[in-house]
Amino acid sequence: MTFGRAPRERLQGAQLDRALPYFLLAPAVLVVLAVLVYPFVDGIQASTQFYRFGRPIKSVGLENYTDLWSDPQFRNALWVTVKFVTLAVALETVLGLALALFCARELRGIRFVRTTLIVPMVITPVVVGIVFRLIYATDAGMLTTVSEKLGGEPVQILSNPTKAFLGLVLLDVWEWTPLMFLILLAGIQSLPVEPSEAARVDGAGSWRTFLDHTLPMLRPVLAVAIVLRTIDAFGTFDQVFVLTRGGPGEATRLVSLYGYDTAFKFQQVGYAAAMFVTVGLIILAFALAAVRMLRRVETA
Amino acid sequence: MSGHAPPERRPGRRWVIALVLLVAALSVVAAGCGGSDDEAADTTPEAGCGAVTIGAFADGGLTPFKDSIIPAAQQAGYEVEWLEDEYGVTLEKWFADAQNEAGQYDIYLLDDPWVPQFAAAGVLEDLGGTIDGEDSDWLGPMIDMGYWPPREGPRVKGFEDADPTLIAVPFVGDLQTMTYRNDVFTEGAPETWDDIIETGKAGVDAGTIKYPIVFRGVASNPIVTSWYPVFLSYGGQFFDDDWNVTFNDEKGKAAADFFVTTMKQNAPPGVVEYDSDQEGAAILGGDAGAIIQYSGNALKSDDPEQSKVVGKLDFGVVPKQEEAIGQMGIFIAAVPTGAPHKDCAIQFLDWYTSAETQAALAEAGSIPVKRSAFDVENPGNRLIPVALEQVDAGSEPRPRTPDWAKVEEILGIELNKALQASAGGGEALDTAAEKVTDYLQQQGYYD
Amino acid sequence: MTARVARWTGIVLILAVVLIPIYWMVASSVKSNKEITQDNTLVPHSPTLQNYSNLFAEKDFGAYLTNSIVVTSVSVFVSLVLGSLGAYAIARFRLVFRLERRLGLALLTMRIVPAVVILIPVYLLILELDLLDTWLGLIVIYTAINVTFVVWMMESFFREIPVDLEEAAMVDGDTRLSAFRRIVVPLAAPGLVATAIFAIIVTYNEFLFALVITATPDSMTMPRGTATLIGRIDTDWASMSAAGVLGALPIVIFALFVQRHLVRGLTLGAVK
Repeated sequence: MTFGRAPRERLQGAQLDRALPYFLLAPAVLVVLAVLVYPFVDGIQASTQFYRFGRPIKSVGLENYTDLWSDPQFRNALWVTVKFVTLAVALETVLGLALALFCARELRGIRFVRTTLIVPMVITPVVVGIVFRLIYATDAGMLTTVSEKLGGEPVQILSNPTKAFLGLVLLDVWEWTPLMFLILLAGIQSLPVEPSEAARVDGAGSWRTFLDHTLPMLRPVLAVAIVLRTIDAFGTFDQVFVLTRGGPGEATRLVSLYGYDTAFKFQQVGYAAAMFVTVGLIILAFALAAVRMLRRVETA
Repeated sequence: MSGHAPPERRPGRRWVIALVLLVAALSVVAAGCGGSDDEAADTTPEAGCGAVTIGAFADGGLTPFKDSIIPAAQQAGYEVEWLEDEYGVTLEKWFADAQNEAGQYDIYLLDDPWVPQFAAAGVLEDLGGTIDGEDSDWLGPMIDMGYWPPREGPRVKGFEDADPTLIAVPFVGDLQTMTYRNDVFTEGAPETWDDIIETGKAGVDAGTIKYPIVFRGVASNPIVTSWYPVFLSYGGQFFDDDWNVTFNDEKGKAAADFFVTTMKQNAPPGVVEYDSDQEGAAILGGDAGAIIQYSGNALKSDDPEQSKVVGKLDFGVVPKQEEAIGQMGIFIAAVPTGAPHKDCAIQFLDWYTSAETQAALAEAGSIPVKRSAFDVENPGNRLIPVALEQVDAGSEPRPRTPDWAKVEEILGIELNKALQASAGGGEALDTAAEKVTDYLQQQGYYD
Repeated sequence: MTARVARWTGIVLILAVVLIPIYWMVASSVKSNKEITQDNTLVPHSPTLQNYSNLFAEKDFGAYLTNSIVVTSVSVFVSLVLGSLGAYAIARFRLVFRLERRLGLALLTMRIVPAVVILIPVYLLILELDLLDTWLGLIVIYTAINVTFVVWMMESFFREIPVDLEEAAMVDGDTRLSAFRRIVVPLAAPGLVATAIFAIIVTYNEFLFALVITATPDSMTMPRGTATLIGRIDTDWASMSAAGVLGALPIVIFALFVQRHLVRGLTLGAVK
């Protein structure tokens, strides 16, 4: 697929130039439309139906959506999820940034650390859930084993709502900080070197340099990283399912879990679809707000 | 300047590579899509009718069937194609298959709580023409589960006047029984719940065990399953004939209080988070004195690879309060209306549920579904006779409604909270009752 | 001097935090289930490779791994091509209705859609195309999913690159596309690599779609295969840990290769 360089073809190229972007975009957009959008529309249609015995029996308009907000289980699930996502992503961003700065230089040992850091996020999420379950388990988990070897009591994490919740956050931070690290590292490495060098020549300390120069230039990449991670965090499922199944009580019952149960265990497909659409809209609102806020700061 | 492009990124070469890979993938697809009936049928079928596709979820309880009965079926002329899937996805997959009459399966081996949903959707074949549901050799509670609407008990809205039809037949039996330490309960199986606690405590004092009892506390299905035998034995009932909630009556509350206080105090500390592997570890590792469980885990007692107390564990009927009733949960077989080999599938089921084949099943080590099969000389394991005792003492399935999963979820969450607090069993039931009533109201049960 | 100490302390700390759960996973993978659930041992008392050999002998793990590798590489590759071209279009051109501002985010919103919502409709779509239980069925789905964020991510990275470089090249005789190929792509390499890693990890570990689309070792991917170890009642902890170790290996090896490329990206990006 090579294009000629003779002036004649470049004139043709000018017309082609106008249509070019659409050709470039077409395959990508078509694939997404066919495989994702079309079924999604199907799903939205389902959200206006009332399901009984696994099939839609009547159309109820937006009733599924309004019912959501008077459903205490949904409100709880949403609250738990928002808490989880906020805490986990915040921690992951800060730690990821720190790690990226730490590993940006080519010094001894740093390369090994970089390689090791990638490992947590490549392990299948289900397995990560299992491993942490094996760490937290009260009777035979790693924490209890260590505690008992030191003469202490069994460590109870998963039987306690708060601890189980924090344990879940810890799992997510362990698993996904490497991703933030990777994206931010790429961002740092793509930065032009001159402004910070000039600043340092002027005598500014490295913390100042960081705040005034590095951080602002990283904003677009930070935005990408945070939004991506937030979207994924809302969809956390495998790990929670294996770790706590939503318990104890409802302490770790993320909305993804409740939605999945509603659709597949309770067979209330319409209600579940409404739930997912609602959550999707919430995430979208957040993503838009975050992007807009970061763009505005950029131009300032 | 930066003409030094990493070689993998030139678009031209990329297209070629992509094309090659796509072609490769397509050719593999073409190879794989061509149907895979490579098994040369060198055994000429005798009386049977050929191919039968069975869908099942992966479960140890089906191993005797797979190992011993499928070969026997082949002898009888049935070519069984076994499509196994993981438990979490089969309900949805099979239901989609049934509703769309996609014809991927001839028989579904359902988990019995799924029957109401499939049956109510009208996607199952009537088996009554070939298979006799009235045969007294069937184990009562099991064959009852094959009828829709149920012959007894409350009926879901829309089916109040319908004639009960046989749309499923029990396939492999399973139910809760008690496993206990015979070096603690030296007089034989403890008969009452108080017995377990009393004699169990003596065992703890003697240093033989650490906890009289162990069970599962994880919210929803596990905790409700653990609480089930307690509840039923105390005389509790979930619903009345009009689906009004009755589980928070006197007896229910007594059962709940006993569960979250006395039982918890006499169980390992982390029991709130326990699922079956942890409760299993407690009994097989020698820490617990007694446990109520299904056969799959019960049978690990005799396996030195899994158990540290081989020889010290025996089986008995679940303990009594007013009654001694445990939960029953079986594999039950149904034929979708869209099955490609419908008649053959029904014929197969008839052959399989015959007394002879069931006897073979018992010898292979599964709990059979016909009474006469329990008389075999050499049952495959020592749990089978106890299973029959339990059936006769009392064994009940879960309520026959497709909404049971949701009810169980609500109940499980409230019970789990009370278990955490080691108190408030009765209140938990009241809260759950309110939520369940709301939900059933929404689903149109009381209109 | 203290900077050196600080650096090495940091390194040790990071490694410890990252490696402890991994140690636990590896240790569990060489224990028996009985030892995992009943004995409380920090170091396995009689390590065995039984779990690993079981995975291949009894559980078709070789097939799962092959399927995963093929499906992942093809779908990520295709999505990178399609997505980068699309991202370039948005980053450099003006489209009707100011689409270039919105298309990136619009595509991303499809990423937000949780797989569960479209699970059954997609299943029926694949069923209609007769692609159930095939590599191509999975590839089609994963390509679509990956394209949604490849476009959005690469748009961001492309925008970081000043237009002057391409314009200079075009004055010198390059066309748009050859300028893209020779100038923009190398500069955006770190971004491409990061996106690729992300896409590979997400695709490799994707579970829900694999769950419904695949049914036999013909096409079952590694996470799907691992899930078969979760029974209705019991979980095979030991095998799962072994599966976890095995499953992670291909990607870790891949990451090791890619490490050097990240470094290359660093030096390229610093050229003035």
